[in-house]
Amino acid sequence: MALLELTDVTRSVRLPDDRILAILQGVTLSVDAGEHVAVVGRSGTGKSTLLNILGLLDAPTSGEYVLDGTPIGRLSGRARARRRGDDFGFVFQQFNLLPGRTALENVAAPLMYARGKTFWRRFTLAAQMLDRVGLGDRLDTMPDKLSGGEQQRVAIARALVRRPRVILADEPTGALDVETGGEVMSLLDEIASESGAALIAITHDLAVAARAQRHYRLAGGVLLPIVLNAPGQVTEWIGDLPVSAPLATAVPITLEEDRA
Amino acid sequence: MTGIVGAIVEAWDELRIHKLRVLLALIGVAVAVCAITGITAAAQMMNQAVKEQTERSGGRATTLMVSAYPTGSVAPTGEQYDAEFTQIVERYGVEYASRELYSQLTFRFPNGAQPVQVQAVDVDYGVMRRVQPVQGTWFAEADADRFAPAVVVNEDFLELLGVSDLSGHPTVMLGGKTPVRTTILGVVATQWEGEGPTAFLLYDHFTRWASPDVQYGPVVPNLSLWVPPEMADELTELVRRDMSAGLPGTQTDVYQQGGGFDVLEGGARWVITGIGGVALLLGGLGLVNIALVTVRYRIREIGIRRSFGATSGRVFFGVLMESVVATVLAGLLGVMAAIVIIKNIPVERIFGAGLQDVPPFPLSAALVGMACATAVGALAGLIPAIVAVRVKVIDAIRY
Ligand SMILES: Nc1ncnc2c1ncn2[C@@H]1O[C@H](COP(=O)(O)OP(=O)(O)OP(=O)(O)O)[C@@H](O)[C@H]1O
Ligand SMILES: [Mg+2]
Repeated sequence: MALLELTDVTRSVRLPDDRILAILQGVTLSVDAGEHVAVVGRSGTGKSTLLNILGLLDAPTSGEYVLDGTPIGRLSGRARARRRGDDFGFVFQQFNLLPGRTALENVAAPLMYARGKTFWRRFTLAAQMLDRVGLGDRLDTMPDKLSGGEQQRVAIARALVRRPRVILADEPTGALDVETGGEVMSLLDEIASESGAALIAITHDLAVAARAQRHYRLAGGVLLPIVLNAPGQVTEWIGDLPVSAPLATAVPITLEEDRA
Repeated sequence: MTGIVGAIVEAWDELRIHKLRVLLALIGVAVAVCAITGITAAAQMMNQAVKEQTERSGGRATTLMVSAYPTGSVAPTGEQYDAEFTQIVERYGVEYASRELYSQLTFRFPNGAQPVQVQAVDVDYGVMRRVQPVQGTWFAEADADRFAPAVVVNEDFLELLGVSDLSGHPTVMLGGKTPVRTTILGVVATQWEGEGPTAFLLYDHFTRWASPDVQYGPVVPNLSLWVPPEMADELTELVRRDMSAGLPGTQTDVYQQGGGFDVLEGGARWVITGIGGVALLLGGLGLVNIALVTVRYRIREIGIRRSFGATSGRVFFGVLMESVVATVLAGLLGVMAAIVIIKNIPVERIFGAGLQDVPPFPLSAALVGMACATAVGALAGLIPAIVAVRVKVIDAIRY
C-alpha cells in the first residue's frame, strides 16, 4: 500500500470578488515509502498548495487523501497536527529558520513537539543532525550569520531531526545559486535516502528534478507525470517551463501522454 | 507532560529573545506586585502589632471584666468576693482568670518612703495581658507560696531604688506598720514619661501582707476572665446573673473587651491596594501591547511551528504562557522585594514596642502577590493567544 495517496483532489478558494479560483483540479498521486518524487511547474500553478495539502497544512476542497491507510478528512485538527509533526519534515524555499535562535536551537525546535525521550534528548539529537549536514562546528551560530547554503542545510537538519517518513521540500534550492543549490540538493537526497524517508521536492530547476525517481509536472492545477529522458542531463523544458542550460546540450523530454 | 514542559520552554525562549521590550512592561508588573504584596504583608504585621498593644491594656479576645461595686453602705468582704470569683472560674471552666485590684502602698526607697501605685493580680495576668518583663521574670505559680511578698516593678521603681539591674537580687521594704522585705522578681518597661514607680503584686500576697491606705477608699477587687470569643456573649449573661445572686447589695457589671482591630482595614489599605492594582493594570496593558506586536511579527514563526506539528491548543497555550512565565518571574521579584522591604522596616520604632509573636512574612501576602502576577499574565496573554491561533498556517509560511 502506498504511503501517501491523493485521489481526485481539488482545492479551490473564494476570491474577494466572490469568484471561485480552482488552484488544483483532480490531482491523483501516490507515493511509496522512501520514494523520491519531483514536481515541476511554473509559478502560480499550485505547487505549494499541493505540498501544503500533502503536509496537512491545508485541506483539499474535495477528493480523498489517505496517509498510511488513514483517511485524513476524518482526523480532527489536533490529530492532523500530531501526524504532521510525526510524519513530515518541511524544507522551505526561504529557509524559514526561527530568528534569534542558534542553529542548534532551530534544529531542536521540532523535537519540542515530540514526546518522551526524544523530547528530553532534543539537543543531543539536534547536534548529531547538524553534524551530519556538516555544520557540527556552527551549533551556536545565529541564522543571520550563516550563508544561504548553510541556512538551508540547517533547515534540512531540522526537517530530518524527528525522523519523518516524508520530507516535503518546496523549492529548496530556489534562493540559492546553482552550485550551492546542487550541493544542498545532493545532501537532501542523500540523507533522505539514508533515513528511508520519502522525498517530495518541488522545483523550478530541471537538474534538481532529475535527481528524483519519478517526476510530475503541475500546470494550471493539473498534475501530470512526465519522463525525463536522460536523468541529470535535462536542461530544456517543453512549453512554459524555464530553460536552465545552453540549448546545445538540451535533450528533449517527453510527456507521457505524448508517447501513448 | 512533555507538552507542558515544551510550552514553558518555548515561552521562556521567546522572552529571552525579546528581552528588552518585555523587560520594561515587566518592571511595571514587578513594582505593582511588590506594592500589593508589601501592603498586604504590612497590614497583617501591623495588625499583629496593634493587636498585641491593645491586648496589653485591654486583654486578649475576649476578656470579660467582671466587677461588683457595693451600692449601699455594706460591702461584701474580701473573702466573699474571693469565694464568688473562685466559684465562677470553676463553674465555667475558665482557663485563664485573674483577680485584679488597684491600690496604693508605701515602699521604702533609699531617699525615703513613697507611695506606689500597686496592682494586685493573679499569675495568669501575665499571659492574659502579654506582660513582657524587660528584666527578670513574671510571677510563677510557685511564687504564691513564698514566705515574703514578691513584686514585679517598673523601670521608674528600679531607678528610685538606685539599682540598675536585677543581678544583685535587690529587695525593697514594703512599708506600713509592719514592714516586710519584698523580692523584686522582674522589671517591666515604664509605660510613659514620668509614670512614676508602679508595682505588680500577687493578689494573695496583697491580702496577706499589704495594708492599703484607708483614705484610698474600700478596696473592691475585679475579676478578669479570658474566654473563647464565641462564648463571650453567653458567659457575660451567666456571670452577671451568678454574681448578682452571689453578692447581694452590689452592682454587677460584666463587659467584654480585648482583641485587636484591623488598622489597615479601612481607607488607607484600599487606596494603596488600588494604586497597586492600577500599576498592575498598566503593566499588564504594556504586556498586551508588546505581545500583540510580537505575535504579528511572529506570524511566520507560528506557521513554522505549526509545520512542526504544533496543535492550535499548543500555540494558544504557548503564547499565553509567554505572558504568564514573564509575569510570574516579575511577580517573584516583586514579592522578594516586598519581603526585603518589610523585613527592614523597624517595627519597634514604629509601634513603640516590640512584637511578642513577631509574625513571619505572611505567606498569604506572598500568595496574593503571585496570584495577581499570574492573573495579569494570563489576561495579558489571552488576546495575543487568540490572535496567534487564528493565524492561517499557509498564509504564515507563504512569501
Ligand atoms: N488562499 C488563497 N487565496 C487566494 N488565492 C490563492 C490562495 N492560495 C493560493 N492562491 C493562488 O493559487 C495559485 C497557486 O498558488 P501556489 O502558491 O500553490 O503556487 P506555486 O505553484 O507554489 O507558485 P510559486 O512557484 O510562485 O511558489 C496562485 O495564483 C495563488 O495566488
Ligand atoms: Mg510556491
